[in-house]
Amino acid sequence: MSLFTSKKHPEPFFRRDQTQAVLMLLPMLVGFLLFTYVPIIYILRFCMYSYDGILPGKFTGIDNFVRIFQRDKAFWEACMNTLVLGGKIILEIPLAMLFAVFLHKGLKGMAFFRVSLFLPTIISTAIVGLIFSLMFASFNGVINTILTNAGLIEKPVDWLGKKWSALMVLELASVWCYVGINMVFFLMALQSVPQELYECAALDGCTGFKRFFRITLPMIIPIFRLVLLNSIIGSLKINDIVLASTNGQPAGKTEVVMTYIFKFFFGYSTRRVEVGYASAMSVVVAVFLGLITLIYIKASKGMTVD
Amino acid sequence: MSAKLKKYIPIAAIYIVLGIAVVIALFPIFYTLMASGKSSQDILANPHNIIPEKFVFDNYVQAWNLANFQQYTWNSVYMSFFIVAGTIVTSTVAGYVFDRGKFRGKEIIFALVISSMFVSLGSLTLYPTVMIAKVFGLNKSLVGVIIIRVFALDVSGLFISRGFINTLPRELDESAKIDGCSFFRIFVSIIFPISKPLIATIGILQFRASWNDYMLPLVFTLANKSRQPLVVGVVNLKTNGMTATNWSVMLAGTAISIMPMILVFIAFNKYFIDGLTSGAIKG
Repeated sequence: MSLFTSKKHPEPFFRRDQTQAVLMLLPMLVGFLLFTYVPIIYILRFCMYSYDGILPGKFTGIDNFVRIFQRDKAFWEACMNTLVLGGKIILEIPLAMLFAVFLHKGLKGMAFFRVSLFLPTIISTAIVGLIFSLMFASFNGVINTILTNAGLIEKPVDWLGKKWSALMVLELASVWCYVGINMVFFLMALQSVPQELYECAALDGCTGFKRFFRITLPMIIPIFRLVLLNSIIGSLKINDIVLASTNGQPAGKTEVVMTYIFKFFFGYSTRRVEVGYASAMSVVVAVFLGLITLIYIKASKGMTVD
Repeated sequence: MSAKLKKYIPIAAIYIVLGIAVVIALFPIFYTLMASGKSSQDILANPHNIIPEKFVFDNYVQAWNLANFQQYTWNSVYMSFFIVAGTIVTSTVAGYVFDRGKFRGKEIIFALVISSMFVSLGSLTLYPTVMIAKVFGLNKSLVGVIIIRVFALDVSGLFISRGFINTLPRELDESAKIDGCSFFRIFVSIIFPISKPLIATIGILQFRASWNDYMLPLVFTLANKSRQPLVVGVVNLKTNGMTATNWSVMLAGTAISIMPMILVFIAFNKYFIDGLTSGAIKG
């Protein structure tokens, strides 16, 4: 009980309250440790094993890592695809910022635009993947219908049948999903910029683009940095959209890291269960994600304008 | 160019850009709803129309009765209900303890919880999670999903509730303490009842998260398809192969799965937008 007693407050009331506070938090603390940190320990343990989830695992040292770095081309292709899909933030962030700046002007009817542009955010990412794969289906897909009606194409395009067009569809789906929430983040940031600053700037004849880059952007840089980090890391963890639309097809060419590793863990989509190897890949990906975050935090320090 | 015209051109440009954006944002949803009401004759006769000749509910009836959607909907409803109800309690309790509680190691524990944001590995930790649930015999139904979502401390929910409870005046606690109320008692009879806006925000965020959840319910129902929630069930139709018949059923199923979310969003969009932003930024 020494943990709960404090020399400064020896009265029993205080001790009772301390005990209650700890007891109230305990179930969540156990749940948290069990489902957040224990899985990481599990992965760290099995990354050096050959283990199929049924038979007892066999310690194989660094074999799994040798396989990743020397023999598993598909893993690296999945990594490349993930980076390509992450490139969508080049479109997503400026668009979100543009919409936010427009909405911030306080014109009539902006509440409608804000709610409508936010709407995609509330739809399940898996369902978004499904809807986009239906829309871009070669037979009966609505995009082909529209393009045919407009006379732009003569015969249906097999969007999801080729690697690059399939990646483009995934990219579009992902932008569609996340533009709304980033827009609202930026809008909130814009609303926190004091109005007087703009008035002073106007007196100095600073308007339009100049005002945006000289005054607005520097003021909202802290939130901008955070939103950008969230988008980068979030886009590298892309999973549901891919699984629910292309599922790595054609021939595994649109697989991303998360879906690729997932299939090794669960034997999903006719893959053989290889828990040990999947754990090793998870460790590699975790290290990459950590490195990217660190580099970003270091590099984006220069973004602060004084 | 007259001064008046010069003033209106930028405004018109803003409306045009936003208008196009809204069309793109709403089109996939509009398309899903429209296509789900097309009869199979209509699809064959007018493949180039987006809007059905006559909106029919055949696909919905078929999805509901033949494709197990009745079961899926029920699974989604009960999973979301227990997650929402459970997290309202656990998030407010955790927020209260971290804000008002005094015990040694509180700061360290809080830092440990926060740092989990940076070590979250997305779907990479799903397999070990299932294995841990297996130890308790919870790996083959949505009960496992509910337990994990309720007790595994959602960081953004914790931030929101700690932030909200921090704004409640401390005089309330003090006077209750003088009346002999214990720490637990103050939460039950004072803090929780006056936290209605917080409860609404957490409830809505958790409804969105649980109703839309795909990966966790997927891996907990791999062995038992009848326990799948809507999102998993619909996507599963697709992975089983696209045929002409299940195309329409799939669209109807998609519509069934997004409709409740859209209705709740239209009714409470302010809570949605505020809640989602405050959780992510302040956190």
